[in-house]
Amino acid sequence: MQNISKTYGSGDSAVTAIKEASFEIYAGETVALLGPSGSGKTTLITMIGCITEPSGGKLHLNEKLIYDTKWQIKDTRRLRRENIGFIFQSHNLIPFLNVRENVTIVPQMNGVAIKDANKKAKELLDYLGVGEKLENMPSQLSGGQSQRVAIARSLSNNPKIILADEPTAALDGQRALSVMQLLKKLSAEQGVAIVVVTHDERMLPLFDRILRVEDGFVKEDKEIKEFS
Amino acid sequence: MINLAQRDIAHSLGKFITTALGVGMLIGVVLIMLGVYRGLVHDAMIVPNDIAPNLWVVQKDTLGPFAENSRMHEDFKYSLKGFSGVKEVNPLTFQSIQIPQGVKPVRVFALGYDTRTSFQPYHLIKGRPIATPFNEIIVDSKTNFKLDDSISLGRNIYRVVGLTHKAVSFGGDPMIYLDLKEAQELQFLFSNAQIRNDRERQSASSATAMVNSFTLKLYPGINPAEVAKEIKRWKHLECFNAKEQEDILTKNVIERSAKQIGMFTVILLIVASVIISLIIYTMTIGKIKEIAILKLIGASNFTITKMIAQQSLLLGAIAFIGGNIFAQLTADKFPKTIILLTDDALKLMVVVIIVSILSSLSGIRTALRIDPASAIGG
Repeated sequence: MQNISKTYGSGDSAVTAIKEASFEIYAGETVALLGPSGSGKTTLITMIGCITEPSGGKLHLNEKLIYDTKWQIKDTRRLRRENIGFIFQSHNLIPFLNVRENVTIVPQMNGVAIKDANKKAKELLDYLGVGEKLENMPSQLSGGQSQRVAIARSLSNNPKIILADEPTAALDGQRALSVMQLLKKLSAEQGVAIVVVTHDERMLPLFDRILRVEDGFVKEDKEIKEFS
Repeated sequence: MINLAQRDIAHSLGKFITTALGVGMLIGVVLIMLGVYRGLVHDAMIVPNDIAPNLWVVQKDTLGPFAENSRMHEDFKYSLKGFSGVKEVNPLTFQSIQIPQGVKPVRVFALGYDTRTSFQPYHLIKGRPIATPFNEIIVDSKTNFKLDDSISLGRNIYRVVGLTHKAVSFGGDPMIYLDLKEAQELQFLFSNAQIRNDRERQSASSATAMVNSFTLKLYPGINPAEVAKEIKRWKHLECFNAKEQEDILTKNVIERSAKQIGMFTVILLIVASVIISLIIYTMTIGKIKEIAILKLIGASNFTITKMIAQQSLLLGAIAFIGGNIFAQLTADKFPKTIILLTDDALKLMVVVIIVSILSSLSGIRTALRIDPASAIGG
C-alpha cells in the first residue's frame, strides 16, 4: 500500500478513516492489525481485500498495480476469488450449504472441476481436522469446527493473502490459540500472507509483525510482546 | 457449479413449500374467479342452447323473455306457424319460483313447454320426459328431489318423473320443467280469493292462455332475418335470432355480474402480485448476510441474480400447481357452476411467470446493493 487514504463523505461532513497508509505485506508473513474500535481497521482490511475503493494512493497485489486513483482492474470480485481468502468471526459459513459445498464454492466459481474441488476440500478439511464433517451442515458444527471450515474455505482458492477479521472472537481461549497456531502454521507451510484483525493481545507473539491503527494512521509496532 | 437456489430451498423446504402453497391458494382463488365468470356465461346460455331455436318471438318493445318481461297470447302460435318457412312453433313460459324442500324452500326457474313438441329438457339423466300433461314434473338434481317425489306447487301436486343434471337458469338457479298449461296456470292464474274479488269488482280475471315467448324452428335454407322481418311487420312482435338473444343475455343480463367478477379477479391478481413481490423481497432480506458473504468471497452478480430469480420462478411454479389443485378440488363445492378452462390456466401461468420475474427484480435490486463489506465485523 502506498499512501492509501479513505475519506467518507465530502465537504464539511467528510471523515477520513485512513490517512496515507503505506506498508507492505510479504508472502508467508503473519500480520496483526490492532487498534481501538472506530480506528479504521475494518476500512483498512476491506481496502486490502479490494472490497472498499480507496480515495487515493496506490495498491499492489502480488506486484501488480490494482489501484491508482481508480481500480486498475475491471472485476474486483474475480480478483478476490482468485487471490484472496477471507475468514470472519464465527457463524459466517453459508448456512444452506454443507461443509464440502462451503469449501468448494470459491474454486467452483473459479471454474475448477467439481471433482478436483471436492478432492482439494477433502484434503484441506482433513488437514484442519474436520474431514469427517464433510457432509454436515454449518448448524451441526461447534464454533471451533466452523472456524476451521472457514479457514479451509479461505485456502480453497490457493490465495496469495488471507484476511481474517477477529477469527478468534467467538472462541474460548484454548480454541482461539489453536486457530491462531493453525493460521501461523499455514502461513509458514503454504507461503500465504495472513492479516488478522484482533483485539486479543495474548495472540500477538504468534505474529511476525503488528500494525497499529489509531485515528486513521497506520504505524508499525516494533515490539512483539511475549505470550502470556 | 452448486445451485444456490436449490440448496437454499432444500435448507428451509417446509417454509418454502408452505409459502408457495399459501400463494398457490391465492392463485387458486383467481382461477376460481375466472371459473365463476365462465360458469356465469355457461349457465346463461344453457336454456337458449337447450331450446336452440332459429328465432325468439317476444312482446313488442321488450328484450324478453330473460332480460325483460314479455307476455303474449298463446294463440299467436297459430298465426306464427302460418309464416312461410316456419317448421315448428314452441310456446314457452319462464318463471322464477320457490318450491318447498324440507325446511328450506329451493329457488328454481320453471320452464313451461308444450310437451307435444320436439323439445326435450336439458340433460335428462334419470326417468323420462313428461308423457301426460297432468301433474308431472322434471326437476334438476340440484334441487335434491328424487324420482317419484311429490312437489306441491300452486294448486297441484306434481310427481317427479325425470331428473336433469346441471340444468340451471342464467341466474344459476336449478331448472324445473312443466307442461305448458300447468305452467301457465302457475304463472297467470289468480288465487280463488283474487278471482272472487275480481267478480265483485265486475272486472275480468286475466286469461291464463298466455306465454312469455315463442321459439321458432325454420326449415333448412330459410333465412331467419327474412322471417323475422315479416313477423315484425305483420304481427307487431319482437323477433331475435339466436345470436341476438345470446348478446342480450351476456351483455344485458349478466354484464354487471361479469364486470364485477372481472374487477375482483384483477384486484386479486394485483394482490397476488404484491404478495409474491413481498415474499421474494423478504426472502432476499432474510439472506442479506449470506449474500454479503457470497459477494465478499467473489460471487458474481450473475450468480446472485440467478439464485433469486430461480427461487422466485420456483415459488411461482409451485404456487401455480398448488393453485390449480386447490381450484380443481374446490370448484365442485361451490353452489354455482365453476368452469375451469385449461386456456385460462395457461394464461394465468404466463401472468404468474411474468409476476415472478418482476417480483424477483426488487429482490435482485436489493441483493445487488448489499455491501460485501457488511460481512466483515460480525
